[in-house]
Amino acid sequence: MAQLSPLERWVLTLLGTIGFFAIWQGVAASGLVSHNALPTPAEVLATAWQLSFEPFAGHTLLQHLAASLGRFAMGFGLAALVGVPLGLAMGRWRLLDDIVSPIFEMLRFVAPLAWVPFAALWFGTGIGGPVMVIFAGALPPCLINAYRGAKLVEPRIVEAAQVLGASGPRIMAEVLLPGSLPSIVAGLRVSAGLAWQSLIGAELIVASAGIGYVMVQAQSNLAPSIVMAGMLAVGVIGLALDVALRRTETLVKARWGQA
Amino acid sequence: MKDIRFEGIGKAFPTRGGGQFVALDDVTLTVAEREFVAVVGPSGSGKTTLMRMAAGLDHPTSGQVAVGGKRVTAPGPDRAVVFQQFALFPWKTVRENIAFGLRCQGAPRAKQDEVVARYLRLMNMEGTEDRYPHQLSGGMQQRVAIARSYAIEPDVLLMDEPFGALDAQTRTVMQEELVRLTRREPRTTLFITHAVEEAVYLSDRVVVLARDPGRLREIVDIRPTRIAEGWDEMAIDAVMDLPSFTHLRTHVWRLLRDQIRPDD
Amino acid sequence: MSAPDLSVQRRADAGAPAPPRAARRLPRFGIGRRTLVGALSLLGLLVLWWVLTTGTGLVAPYRFPSPAEFRGALDQFVTDGYAGGTLWVQAWHSTRLVLMGFAVAVVTGVPLGLLMGVSPRAEALLNPAFLLVRPIPPLAWIPLAIVWLGLGDAAKVLVIWFAAFVPSVINTWTGVRGVDRTLIAAARVHGAGSRRLLTEVIIPGALPMIFTGLRLSLQASWTTLVAAELVGAFFGLGRVLDAAYRDINPAMITVAMVAVGILGAATTRLLGEAERRLIPWRS
Repeated sequence: MAQLSPLERWVLTLLGTIGFFAIWQGVAASGLVSHNALPTPAEVLATAWQLSFEPFAGHTLLQHLAASLGRFAMGFGLAALVGVPLGLAMGRWRLLDDIVSPIFEMLRFVAPLAWVPFAALWFGTGIGGPVMVIFAGALPPCLINAYRGAKLVEPRIVEAAQVLGASGPRIMAEVLLPGSLPSIVAGLRVSAGLAWQSLIGAELIVASAGIGYVMVQAQSNLAPSIVMAGMLAVGVIGLALDVALRRTETLVKARWGQA
Repeated sequence: MKDIRFEGIGKAFPTRGGGQFVALDDVTLTVAEREFVAVVGPSGSGKTTLMRMAAGLDHPTSGQVAVGGKRVTAPGPDRAVVFQQFALFPWKTVRENIAFGLRCQGAPRAKQDEVVARYLRLMNMEGTEDRYPHQLSGGMQQRVAIARSYAIEPDVLLMDEPFGALDAQTRTVMQEELVRLTRREPRTTLFITHAVEEAVYLSDRVVVLARDPGRLREIVDIRPTRIAEGWDEMAIDAVMDLPSFTHLRTHVWRLLRDQIRPDD
Repeated sequence: MSAPDLSVQRRADAGAPAPPRAARRLPRFGIGRRTLVGALSLLGLLVLWWVLTTGTGLVAPYRFPSPAEFRGALDQFVTDGYAGGTLWVQAWHSTRLVLMGFAVAVVTGVPLGLLMGVSPRAEALLNPAFLLVRPIPPLAWIPLAIVWLGLGDAAKVLVIWFAAFVPSVINTWTGVRGVDRTLIAAARVHGAGSRRLLTEVIIPGALPMIFTGLRLSLQASWTTLVAAELVGAFFGLGRVLDAAYRDINPAMITVAMVAVGILGAATTRLLGEAERRLIPWRS
């Protein structure tokens, strides 16, 4: 396992990037697979550009993305609002832990996407249904990381707050929450990834707008370049979310980590 | 001001084999109002457990603890605790740490500021109010913790080896400062330590515990000597050179020594 | 002593060893408190279910089934079948696809992770492709897989492969990089060749992380399969979910969800068992 020189690493990375697109381009242009199945990278980019201005499946790509992001924010926000306090409280109070844990463990084995039928049945296919599916996907990491974080808060610090007269809610807000913040933020990052993925799933199955809806419509129209443009958009947004939360995580660790 | 009464305190844990381990056995002890009592004992004698029971963080399996005549069931702001590991809130500044208990009581902002300023001055910490605990030395951190406890004006102060995590020099300085503070604002104090000199120097009475099971061995009265010789007006090293101090220290030390085993 | 008469109180038993206490047996239950509370909690949930759907009718049947309806749907599914097959047929169809996709992902992903962990050259060369593809969630491949391969089994296996591939590679790679350098040096000093180094030091050292990756892969496989079958399929539990949704049959939706949950739990269990057998040194 020899070390690479920076130059060698840089050249190989460049080669790898070029190679990836070259193989894609080569396969698409060679006629080995039907052109209807695999568009070239340039065609995908052109389609994405074109969709930004021309409506497809009712709206432009940006409008679809806005619809998706709105649902994402609601589902993810709801999961954080429920999961983090519940996890903290479970980490603090044994009885609550003993009551909620078995139910949570049981529900966790049901894949989040399996909630789609009920979500649609209960909350419709517009906003409520997808939001519930996102919630189901995003809740576990929020809850688990808040729970672990609360368990790891130095017990003496909790006791210090107790003997100084802090109430239960105050201990949660001023001791457990800041004490487990690094763990919570790490959980939120995982959670955001799962929320984004559940959103796409939900939109593929039941929705009338959104990036997943674009892709499933393109699939029925047998338009792989639109499908791939959708994948590109999904990837870019997912990456941006991840980078943003990673930044936050680093910041939080730097700010609270020395504790 | 309130007193602390331990009445026939016992603490037993069930063991794996179905038997039980007795950590404390029939301990009866009273800390009078404004009295400073130090508890020394070998590890395993249950001295910290005793303190935690007075705080309401631990509960006896027999007997009861009463503070000011009221049975202790839960922590309350009439009893403040200073922990060995300081237990400061790392995400709060010095000011916010000291003011925390007052905020819990809903004290107005002006009162909080006044109390914080007062204890910063008393503990020689002016200018540190906006620092975070990790920016302070161990000695400074423990000063904040002591100030935080004093700030809620508790009737009872419970200290669990507060200087145990400090280096020798800092420790001496802190002992001197604590004497200054406690003589100026005497409170009913239960001080847990395993350092004999510290116990003799600081307290009115030293309680010596025995272990297996943890129980009372002897109570040594320091106060009459201290008052008669005027220890409080002397520097700590001068006190520790006095024959009376050496005599008391050796007495307490002998009570402990025959309990110490090679594996300690 | 300053005032020996009053200040020193001696207790009767002071200094003497304490008489041994009779070992008193505490009343013990066969199970722990945690298990008991957990069982009560689940029981409470069942009672709540019955009360809401049957006892009071607060929850309408078209929103969530009553226990009796659930039982009825289960019987119907087991004996007559639903959406083209009985419970066993549909469950086996889904499980087979998950296992196939998962197996392909493991067989391709773990060696690739090993290669990237062992060779910095391979890592530098392959990492860009990985970084480009990774942000795309596995579920986003479903439409493309359908365009390429239709609604049959091949598309499902392809999508599961994509979903399960990434965790396999990344965790194997991380596991290899985390192997103690001293162990590798020690093996080298004792004359181990590259092959022996790989099979006897690096792979065992990375195995715990590899299994972490496999667990994530398996989870991703189930999630993806359910989604893929919901988007479009001829058979499988996802197809049952979809059909039950279209028929507005909440009881059958619940049966299918429970089946998916049990299968997911069972396969995870199996993997855990394999891990225990393969890594006996980790208690």
